[in-house]
Amino acid sequence: MSAPLIPNLFAVCKVLVAAIIGIVQSIIYALSGPIPPLRGLGDWLGLDAVITVVTYLIVVTIVVLWVTVLNLFTVMWVERKLYSRLQDRYGIMISIWSLPFWPFNRVHRPTHKGLGYLQNLADGVKLIQKENITPRNADSAMFHISPVLIASSTLMVFAVLPWSSGFYVANLDLGILFILAAFSLAPLGILIAGYAANNKYTLVGGFRAAAMLLSYSIPMVLAVIALVVFTGTLDPVKIVQQQDRPLVAFGTTLPLPAWYVFGPQFLGFLIFSVAMIAEMERVPFDIPEAEAELVEGWTTEYSGMRFGIVFAFKWLRMLAACALISILYLGGWSGPVFTTLSVGGIPVPIVPEEIWFLLRIYFLAAFFVVLSWSVPRVRIDQILNIGWKRLIPYSLLAILVAAGFRVLG
Amino acid sequence: MAVDWELIAFFILSAFEIIGSVLVVINKRLVRAAFWLAMTLVTIGVIYLLFLSEFVFLIQILVYAGAVPVLMVFGIMLTRRKIMDEPGQEAPE
Repeated sequence: MSAPLIPNLFAVCKVLVAAIIGIVQSIIYALSGPIPPLRGLGDWLGLDAVITVVTYLIVVTIVVLWVTVLNLFTVMWVERKLYSRLQDRYGIMISIWSLPFWPFNRVHRPTHKGLGYLQNLADGVKLIQKENITPRNADSAMFHISPVLIASSTLMVFAVLPWSSGFYVANLDLGILFILAAFSLAPLGILIAGYAANNKYTLVGGFRAAAMLLSYSIPMVLAVIALVVFTGTLDPVKIVQQQDRPLVAFGTTLPLPAWYVFGPQFLGFLIFSVAMIAEMERVPFDIPEAEAELVEGWTTEYSGMRFGIVFAFKWLRMLAACALISILYLGGWSGPVFTTLSVGGIPVPIVPEEIWFLLRIYFLAAFFVVLSWSVPRVRIDQILNIGWKRLIPYSLLAILVAAGFRVLG
Repeated sequence: MAVDWELIAFFILSAFEIIGSVLVVINKRLVRAAFWLAMTLVTIGVIYLLFLSEFVFLIQILVYAGAVPVLMVFGIMLTRRKIMDEPGQEAPE
């Protein structure tokens, strides 16, 4: 029913890489007339193992750039613009028309009246220019290693997160479990960051963050267990394939898709979403950086681009969380292909799976932004009460319901 | 000459693991010891991956690397920090 834009990212890249390496190889062979040792280099480049390794590096680079450059900036822009609009102000406005040289600085065009998409880029450049300050008496090695831990463990999520049925780095049988494991690595980095800065606000923030993330990862995993009772697999591509069919047809025009949110998994969906809001430290549960009591929580002492990393990591987690919710419960990238164009004999779907998936991700992101800028913050004891006394029993109930429906058919 | 890359990877991981576990024991700062413990546990997980048991690797990461060091660091931070830093001098209370 749905078709991806890129049928298989790895195969496409491998063809391209093999072509480029073939060109380089022929140049090297041509040069090996005057310089004979180059012939061995040319032979080595032609090996299949070399091409595979280079292809993997290229695929990883493509996905990292796709996530961090395109989607991270877009989700940051969505959040900053949307909450400004919610507060009835313009929000960020630096765009390409703010650049101070010729094609952009037109006379009749105000410099700060764009859509604001490049504001985050400008902020990033500003953060790179700033000095990296290490607090006195801080545990310097730990202080500097924790942003790396946090950012890399969050980027690990995107190693297996598929963006369509063909656009991924690796497709594991246990992909969902890998994503949850990578999600659960961040609390250690956060706790170390809070400890190493030698500041009471960061310490309290790190405590709160670790307590909250640990206690909310339990209902998260339990909700996934309730889902796995139904799906019988942990492979995200297969989970989406199971949802890519109509559940009930109302008349002939509008079939209700068989997403897992419609049916006995609804409780699990609610639990998983609430746990995910806590995992990405958004406002109802953003007590780790409650800026009214702790200055900026565990990120207080970071400066320069390290602050940029630990700050942007929350949006990375938000992207991963929205993608995970839509894969597990909202049908992933399934959606109708209205018609296909033929570009050079290759059928290209006019609305590919990637578009459907990005639509779901940004709809969920906008929903979380609106939610988090309209509700007050919850106290730390209330957060732990919600986590341990409400969500965990309800997620056990969700497992029971799922198992019951599974047994009864 | 055929190179047994799996054996080499195993030796490197074992070296990391032995160094990490020695550092867990001899380190005077308990938080760093917990950090090295996390490294040791992750390395053990990667050795499981080398034995082609993905599921045990992921559970190792999820449970041991994700939760156990955090609990350790929690316990350490809720106690007095000075005890191990300066041997022979208890912090005045």
